Amino acid sequence: MLSKMLLGRYIPGSSIIHQLDPRAKILAVVMFMAIVFFANHWTGYGLLILFIITLTKMAGLSLRFLFNGLKLILILLLFTFFMHLFFTKGGTVLIDGGFFTIESEGVINGIYITIRLAMLVLITTIMTLTTSPLQLTDAIERICRPLKAIRVPVHEIALMMSISLRFIPTLMDETEKIIKAQSARGSTFMTGSLKSRLQALTPIFIPLFISSFKRAEELAIAMEVRGYQGEEGRTYYRVLNWQFRDTAALIMMIIFGIILWMIRQ
Amino acid sequence: MIEFDNLAYSYRSGEYKALDHISLTIRQGDWVSIIGHNGSGKSTLVKILMGILEDYEGTIRVGGEVLNDENRAELRKRFAIVFQNPDNQFVGATVEDDVAFGLENNGVPREEMVRRTEAALEAVNMLSYRNHEPSRLSGGQKQRVAIASALAMAPDVLILDEATSMIDPEGRREVLDILQKIHGEGRTTLIYITHDLSEIEQSDHAVVMREGRIISKGTVEEIYQDTDALIASRLVLPFHMKVSKRLLGGEYMSYDELVKRL
Ligand SMILES: Nc1ncnc2c1ncn2[C@@H]1O[C@H](COP(=O)(O)OP(=O)(O)O)[C@@H](O)[C@H]1O
Ligand SMILES: [Mg+2]
Repeated sequence: MLSKMLLGRYIPGSSIIHQLDPRAKILAVVMFMAIVFFANHWTGYGLLILFIITLTKMAGLSLRFLFNGLKLILILLLFTFFMHLFFTKGGTVLIDGGFFTIESEGVINGIYITIRLAMLVLITTIMTLTTSPLQLTDAIERICRPLKAIRVPVHEIALMMSISLRFIPTLMDETEKIIKAQSARGSTFMTGSLKSRLQALTPIFIPLFISSFKRAEELAIAMEVRGYQGEEGRTYYRVLNWQFRDTAALIMMIIFGIILWMIRQ
Repeated sequence: MIEFDNLAYSYRSGEYKALDHISLTIRQGDWVSIIGHNGSGKSTLVKILMGILEDYEGTIRVGGEVLNDENRAELRKRFAIVFQNPDNQFVGATVEDDVAFGLENNGVPREEMVRRTEAALEAVNMLSYRNHEPSRLSGGQKQRVAIASALAMAPDVLILDEATSMIDPEGRREVLDILQKIHGEGRTTLIYITHDLSEIEQSDHAVVMREGRIISKGTVEEIYQDTDALIASRLVLPFHMKVSKRLLGGEYMSYDELVKRL
């Protein structure tokens, strides 16, 4: 189940979308977040869907693969749909169930809002599927650099993010080891009441917690002896390379936005 | 050249002296092993040298210059260290990022940084793994990357603090082979810390530590024959030396020589 989840996963590849500068991708997604609100009737929503389908193809992904990986999100989308179905009033009454009514505005609104939300989820998923977390971190750091002027520790936050990414697999391995060790001693956290399961988790988290402190201390020493002194005087090994195609991608996004704006009613 | 003169140190919480008046000279280009049981003060010694611990008694001279608060940051650049746990010294999200980390900190220009990163990875035979994530490497590979990260800084002195104690015998072999190669080039001083007597064979000199003191020092031959010191420090002779002691009167010989003689 979890292994099928696509949210936040990265799938290496060489499509044009994979090759775009991560900054271009983040900026495009931000633009798209505004653009979805331009659509206000069938043609607009149709274009949004078409746009996302094209992007999916360009990224070398299949639609079925995307939908399978986003089943959990589907529940959220259905929930949104039904909320609007029941609570948005207006237009003709389609069904009158006595204590509730379903009216035409509700149906239309439900569909529109659900499409908007679905498109937003899809475009963010396409971005994370085609961009490594490390690239995303780099891009966020560069994009947010101006925030340093108002004392936001951009470099430190980015370093924290990349170190966290680096330690996730290490901690996962360790958790697995501890679980195995505790199981061998007869701990069970797969059966029993919720309370007893939670209690069985304690001997897993406490060792994990203690070892994380030790790791943090050793890592800090390792960083210090390798001359880490914060951002000042630092050079960067990884560089982002903004190319013509990145500008082109953003211009296309802007044109798409203008079209949606012009056909709105 | 590094000279420790009457170096003493106690941790705030400790009743004992972690280091009890140690004097030791390490010559440039030598491979010096420091052997001792857990808690004998080996890590404390290097932590002081690296400037991680301060407030010690005695003096340290590096290339004749007395280590002090002003020159500590500058002198530290001459040392690089590889620690015991490969997982806790990996800063970069990929192999090459980790090797470049120290260079980034020192503001090395990017072209030079790429060149040095590649050369260092090449030296430890890990260049083809440059884009790998650390979690996908074996213990021996991780420590080789850690050595590359140290080498990229072009240190005068490379310190390994029990760098092989958490990895399998094969990884240990790989690490020792790389050190042999570095030592052969003759530029880098190696300080090799271990509690395993079978790992010191390739070093020029060895020092045995116990409870914060140096209880024996000399060539590997001399150490292997100093039975009293080895027993006192609860160190176990490597198997081939035990055989030699039993059968051939304890004369020092390497594993290969022993096989030949038998
Ligand atoms: N952070 C610390 N706080 C208090 N005592 C310590 C600390 N680190 C080490 N010690 C003590 O100092 C002595 C020497 O430790 P260490 O230098 O780590 O030995 P080694 O590296 O040879 O195993 C030991 O008795 C140890 O318990
Ligand atoms: Mg130690």
